[in-house]
Amino acid sequence: MTLLRISDLRTYFPTPDGIVRAVDTIDLSIRERETLGLIGETGCGKTVLGLTLMRLLQSSTKTEGTIIYKGTNLLKISEAEMRMIRGEEIAMILQNPTTSLNPVMRVGEQIAEAIQLHQGLSKRDSKEKAIEMLDAVRIPSPSQRANEYPHEFSGGMKQRVMIAMGLACNPSLIIADEPTKGLDVTIKSQIVKLLKEVTKERAMLIITHDLGVARALCDRIALMYAGELVEYATTRKIFEAPLHPYTRGFLGSLPRNGLVPIPGMSPSLINLPLGCRFHPRCANAKAICRKKHPGMVEIEDGHFVRCFHA
Amino acid sequence: MIEVRKILGSIGLGILTIFVIVAIFAPHIAPYNPHQIYRPMEHPSSSHLLGTNDLGNDILSEIVYGTRVSLFIAFIVSAISMLVGTSLGLIAGYFDKVGFLIMRVVDVVLTIPRLPLIIVIASFMRPSTWNLIALFLIFGWLMTARIIRSEVLTLRRRYYIDATKMIGGSDFYILWRHILPNVVPLVVVQFIMEAIHVILAESGLCFLGLGDPVARSWGMVFHYAFECPTIYVSDVWMWWMLPPGLCIVFTVLGLTFVGYALEETFNPKLKSSFRRMEL
Amino acid sequence: MHQISKLAYYFVIVLIILSINFFLPRVMPGDALSYLTDPGADMPVRMTEEKGEILLAYYGLDKPLSEQYINYMVGIIRGDLGLSIYYNDPVLEVILSRMKWTLLLVGTSTAIYITLGILLGATSAWARGRKKDMALLISILSISSFPSFFIGILMVIFFVVKLGIFPLSGAQTAFATYSNPLEEIFDILHHLVLPAATLIISHIGGTYFLMRNSMLGVLGEDYIMTARAKGLSERYILHKHAIKNALLPIVTMTAMTAGFMVTGTIFVEMVYAYPGIGNLLYNAVSYNDYPLLQGIFLFITITIVGANFIADMIYIRLDPRVNHE
Repeated sequence: MTLLRISDLRTYFPTPDGIVRAVDTIDLSIRERETLGLIGETGCGKTVLGLTLMRLLQSSTKTEGTIIYKGTNLLKISEAEMRMIRGEEIAMILQNPTTSLNPVMRVGEQIAEAIQLHQGLSKRDSKEKAIEMLDAVRIPSPSQRANEYPHEFSGGMKQRVMIAMGLACNPSLIIADEPTKGLDVTIKSQIVKLLKEVTKERAMLIITHDLGVARALCDRIALMYAGELVEYATTRKIFEAPLHPYTRGFLGSLPRNGLVPIPGMSPSLINLPLGCRFHPRCANAKAICRKKHPGMVEIEDGHFVRCFHA
Repeated sequence: MIEVRKILGSIGLGILTIFVIVAIFAPHIAPYNPHQIYRPMEHPSSSHLLGTNDLGNDILSEIVYGTRVSLFIAFIVSAISMLVGTSLGLIAGYFDKVGFLIMRVVDVVLTIPRLPLIIVIASFMRPSTWNLIALFLIFGWLMTARIIRSEVLTLRRRYYIDATKMIGGSDFYILWRHILPNVVPLVVVQFIMEAIHVILAESGLCFLGLGDPVARSWGMVFHYAFECPTIYVSDVWMWWMLPPGLCIVFTVLGLTFVGYALEETFNPKLKSSFRRMEL
Repeated sequence: MHQISKLAYYFVIVLIILSINFFLPRVMPGDALSYLTDPGADMPVRMTEEKGEILLAYYGLDKPLSEQYINYMVGIIRGDLGLSIYYNDPVLEVILSRMKWTLLLVGTSTAIYITLGILLGATSAWARGRKKDMALLISILSISSFPSFFIGILMVIFFVVKLGIFPLSGAQTAFATYSNPLEEIFDILHHLVLPAATLIISHIGGTYFLMRNSMLGVLGEDYIMTARAKGLSERYILHKHAIKNALLPIVTMTAMTAGFMVTGTIFVEMVYAYPGIGNLLYNAVSYNDYPLLQGIFLFITITIVGANFIADMIYIRLDPRVNHE
């Protein structure tokens, strides 16, 4: 059952230097209880995609295309209706828990307020529920900790709090933006374990540049480069038989594969290269790559690539 | 929004330029010598555009020459305060032991309320322009020193400072070539804020009667107008009180606009955010 | 722990202020008293031999310096601030009798301008860059360029001289008798409006800018985005998340400003001849009433220092991060 279908999504920011095409024609879908990984370098537009889904961008940005969630086009509904979806149907766990939590509000209250708003529970009941959530993300002595402030929590625990906030209203889809960034290896694996449990009951779009995390959690993976998707397949296929040169390069840059970097730098989203956006950095670039922009092609069943030479 | 900033800045600059020109060319612009006596309490006429005061001086000339006094006081206090404040701020931020001492002094003096102290001291002194300047200088450098110091503390941690040390740069060289240039925007903004403060404080002191009775700044002209018992009768206030008051207002306005425009340009996240300093 | 060191710090400051007060007349060029008795000096109040003696005794200038200092400190503790030359009453009494009016004026004005400043500042920040913000910004920038006494005088000219709807001076109508307390209250309020309005207009800029900047900072923070992601309404976010955080620096500034307000009232009280401490200070300056002048200075300074201290205490209580250092 398809939960979310994104078609032809474009998000542009007009700036004094030109138009930033952060999301340039993306097609994606997520099924119920499926975990989709969105992988890419910093600045390729992945966070913007997440924010676009939640309609959390400023009014000056232009968004086009369709986002069909449970039969409704999210881009067409009113702000009031969207607010009801945020938190309750689709929850986003933002990056950087240290700055994403209100420093002068108790943690329990920050979790409870969404519950109070969306599910109409009384203050006391929502507080109870918040404590349950803290427990569900394995924070010890939850009733005590709920009364504490964010600065009293360690990095890993703050991340758990963010997850608890996301889960509070039992959404069908969670968007997790870099949930393991900046955490040490041991904490990271704990968070991954937690997330794995979380996804048993719901769908998740995980935005990350950490391939290890993606491999552990995702059913399918989409690679994003310069605002568009370049490869999209099951996790197994991505790791075992990557088709796009960028994907291969990405995998090659892993420590265990030799830490081989991809030459060059990612392009500015204002002045994109003509033809294939990756061609300046591609070892296999041919004449056609410089002139024509490749479309997304389904090479095998469920495996899509944007390359003339896959 | 960027437009507004530029427009305001230009307007401010324009206003200030006009006043500076008036100050510099006062003898050529003023119709009479402000100390020359004519018929007192004259209404505005073709010979005295703003009438005369209770002594018989031409008010317009008073105001033109007053521009010199008011601007001079503000400028010199601000300039010296910036010099002293920046130097002390640089030293305090760079050399910790000395810095600690300097900052304690700054903290203590800052806690003492400025205006009452100035009023009390001024009442004991003979009223004169230089006395006022000295008084304002006691306090003028404090805030700047503090702000500059805290900026230096941040800048010190930058890598290029260590790099410069490693290639043998002396402390003075570092301060002069690397830290000082980064601190200049803050100083400029502080200069403007101090100037605003001085103009308002000086006019306030004059209003209380503590200003220089000979070199009459706008504040003093206003003071004498206020002291005149018939000031509200027959609209005398219109040509005796309004002009100097408006001069003060427009000068401060000009400075405010320029300061606002500059502040947003230099750094929208400046710590020394543009707040009015209380008298 | 914080509390005690702060207390000690402020105590030192008070000592310094007391010492300044002590040394000031003794340090000024020439003998402070010759200033007064010199027949050439331009002074509205003539000094008689008698008054001269009183002053001499007050300053104890015939005794050694250290003894003078001790006498002075002891006097302060006992509440003896000397005798006012002009009013011929103990300085402390003179000050205390005026204090209620200044408190009334400052109290009502502060409450109003802070509330207004916060509301307007928040509104501006929320509507950043749009017409509402720009209009507010420019208006308040412009108003803040007016010296407080000028605003006062303009208001007097307009509302008193031209329109005649408000009284010119004083806190109450002179020699008035009231048939009931309500009448008296109304009369007091009637006299309070213009001075309070003047104070409010001249001080609102500070709070407005601080609030606006603070809000702008807060609105750019990540946790506001988190709140939006949870589906909370803009209004809710403004109240529960943004304002509370933005208010922190305001609290500190407010308590400090409350102290400075006392000095701000000097000009306003002068313009309206409002019988508060500010007006008293003006009279003291005009009549060279040194004991009174020093007494007022002491009084005002200690009030401000006290206000600073309270501000620090409040801030410590409000910001949960501070306690955990």
